[in-house]
Amino acid sequence: MKNKLSIGRVINGVLLVVLTFVCLYPFLNVIAYSLSGYNAVLTGNVTVLPKDFCLDAYRDILAKKQIWQAMKTTVFVTVVGTTVSMLLTIFAAYTLSRKDLVGRKFVTGLILFTMYFGGGLLPTFLVVKNVGLYDSLGALFIPNAINVFNFIVMRTFFKSLPPSLEEAARIDGASYIQVLLKIILPLSLPIIATIGLFYAVEYWNSYFNALLYITTPEKYTLQLRLRSLLFGGELNSTANLEGGGSMVLSQSLKMATVAVSTLPILVVYPWLQKYFVKGVMVGSVKG
Amino acid sequence: MAKTMHKLWNYKWLYIMLVPVVLYFVIFKYIPMYGLVMAFKDYNVFKGISGSQWVGFDIFRKIFSNQNFWNSIRNTFLLNLLTLAISFPFTIIVALMLNEVVSGKFKKVIQSILYLPHFISWVVVASIVVNLFSQNGGTINLFLSKMGLSSIPFLSNNGWWVFTYVISNVWKEIGWGTIIYLAALTGVDETLYEASYLDGASKFQRLIYITLPAIKSVIVVMLILQISKMMTIGLDAPLLVGNKKVMEVSEVISTYTYRMGIEQAKYSESTAIGLFQSVVNIVILFLADKFAKLIGEEGIL
Repeated sequence: MKNKLSIGRVINGVLLVVLTFVCLYPFLNVIAYSLSGYNAVLTGNVTVLPKDFCLDAYRDILAKKQIWQAMKTTVFVTVVGTTVSMLLTIFAAYTLSRKDLVGRKFVTGLILFTMYFGGGLLPTFLVVKNVGLYDSLGALFIPNAINVFNFIVMRTFFKSLPPSLEEAARIDGASYIQVLLKIILPLSLPIIATIGLFYAVEYWNSYFNALLYITTPEKYTLQLRLRSLLFGGELNSTANLEGGGSMVLSQSLKMATVAVSTLPILVVYPWLQKYFVKGVMVGSVKG
Repeated sequence: MAKTMHKLWNYKWLYIMLVPVVLYFVIFKYIPMYGLVMAFKDYNVFKGISGSQWVGFDIFRKIFSNQNFWNSIRNTFLLNLLTLAISFPFTIIVALMLNEVVSGKFKKVIQSILYLPHFISWVVVASIVVNLFSQNGGTINLFLSKMGLSSIPFLSNNGWWVFTYVISNVWKEIGWGTIIYLAALTGVDETLYEASYLDGASKFQRLIYITLPAIKSVIVVMLILQISKMMTIGLDAPLLVGNKKVMEVSEVISTYTYRMGIEQAKYSESTAIGLFQSVVNIVILFLADKFAKLIGEEGIL
């Protein structure tokens, strides 16, 4: 019965294809703009396919020093931030997944409570300032190094591993560090890939922390640079685009910038995709 | 005692691993909670938090009497509610449609594309939105003018801006939202379908009598969870998609807190608004949890 090609099934398939196209259209539109000639863009008419195909916009954008600088900053923050976040999350999840650790309940409670209550924007801002992170790249990952949701997902996964493996290693004299490195982590690659992807995307896309904490233009991240290129630096100014502000940068140049800053995600995405669905499902099981 | 000491010594590596974790939470989550006392003080930059003068509920009286504050609350609810009203049923429908797909490869490709927008930053989404919806050279308005129709102020008219905001949110998260339902759908007992097929049930009947009841509890829990987040709104979307012309509808609690605190340096007011929001959030969360248990579902806390 499952293989019958009914009319309903065809309609369903067609609707899904339409939906997918609608979902993909904005991306195609961006790429088409970025590959179109400057003049073709001015006259409009660019939809899915580029007009007067040319790579000028990419050449121009890649010649901009600020873009490279922002790219470097963002890569740094993403790599270091993801590493720090993963280490801390693994530490927290591993130690707190052990049923026999004295004080485990207290620390877990301490962590979970922050999901529901916090100091909010300004008190946190003041703390970051007072510990000397203001206008430093550390402010972009240290103040939110551990995502509690990711911690829960990972702890749930660690808890689901058979305890007998670890006991055997412990009897053989392995230390907890060795158990973590040699037994737990190799078994947890899917969840590590998932959480790693979540953190990396979070850091790559993060905009608000940079807006809050970074003042030196040389330290701008890609998203912040993108924002100031696209909307002229001033906040709340999509309205500017309705006026003359948009002429500063041509539409294709803007869209090339968007494409360049999104490309890294598009490149890693298909490779990690098979993992993260599983990761999200683990997360939906309450820890 | 000696035994406990021995046990603790045994765990020394575990505790060493825990130290940075606890430090992180204390410094960046718990010390800011102390900063909440600013809401009850007239914060003075030179005197610091502890040196500033207590003013009781004066700050709260001040913010409650400000119309902008109530506007931001109304907008938060409005935007959240409209987004939920569209995205909630739509997500379930898309999940059901995906579930009907037989070809594994086709399904995978569709899913991959639908999940993609979830991973795109709001800065990029905002620029895509402008590219599509702008009245000055936006793709949609260009198309409308080609058709001889008048242009639509998607970004500068209050009503249309809300529409644009909701659409971009739905676009960004709809695919990602289906994951949880698809997980629930894989758990539906296949034999039920076969039995109903033999009994001559139509496709629609199977959907109504088997599929939906099977995932009912997930639907209910997700709905309660979403409703419990009504007072919480991400800052990125309204800040980046919003603009000065539509401030009346785009200013939400998070952006208002930001503008008060960082742009206008009204520390006490901003903190008070944040505290008010947190407290309301917790109340809603508890109520939602109680309600979930009352109707026989698992709690959400």
